[in-house]
Amino acid sequence: MSAWIVAFIALVPPLGMCAYHVLRGDTADRLVALELASAVGSLMLVLTSVGFDQPSFIDLALALSLLGLVGTLVFAQFLERWL
Amino acid sequence: MRTTAADVLLWVSVLNIWLAVAGFTRLRTALDRLHCVTFVNAAGGGALFFAVLAHDGFSVRLIKLGFLLLSALVGGAVLSHATGRALWIRERRP
Repeated sequence: MSAWIVAFIALVPPLGMCAYHVLRGDTADRLVALELASAVGSLMLVLTSVGFDQPSFIDLALALSLLGLVGTLVFAQFLERWL
Repeated sequence: MRTTAADVLLWVSVLNIWLAVAGFTRLRTALDRLHCVTFVNAAGGGALFFAVLAHDGFSVRLIKLGFLLLSALVGGAVLSHATGRALWIRERRP
């Protein structure tokens, strides 16, 4: 098992902690935790790309990062106006 | 030598992400916690970029990772502003 896969596994608890805050926190904390989970998740996909030697996996990281930006922006606007 | 450098940078990146999530848990308000997201993008992503550079050399993957890092840093700044503004307005709503 390469160091990249071990690093990927080492990042599962931080992602789980973000998921905990998304599930259990108040509305503002959920938004920030979602933002953090998106950042950590995209870096984890980069690790899988190198660990499994699959260059195409990095496109998933790129897509997650860009969609996470847009999604969180929409969530922030929604929070500002209606929630 | 390059593998050692890549491994060291990789674990620096993992350590930075752990530190950011620990800070996220420790800090009290959502506005304070926004700083942890920027730390993950800048410190974690930056160290990972240089780890991939040491592992792969110049490659298509590195270019895509650079684009990812750039979009995370630039977009993250915009996002932090939008989120902070939303939270600020929400906190002051009667």
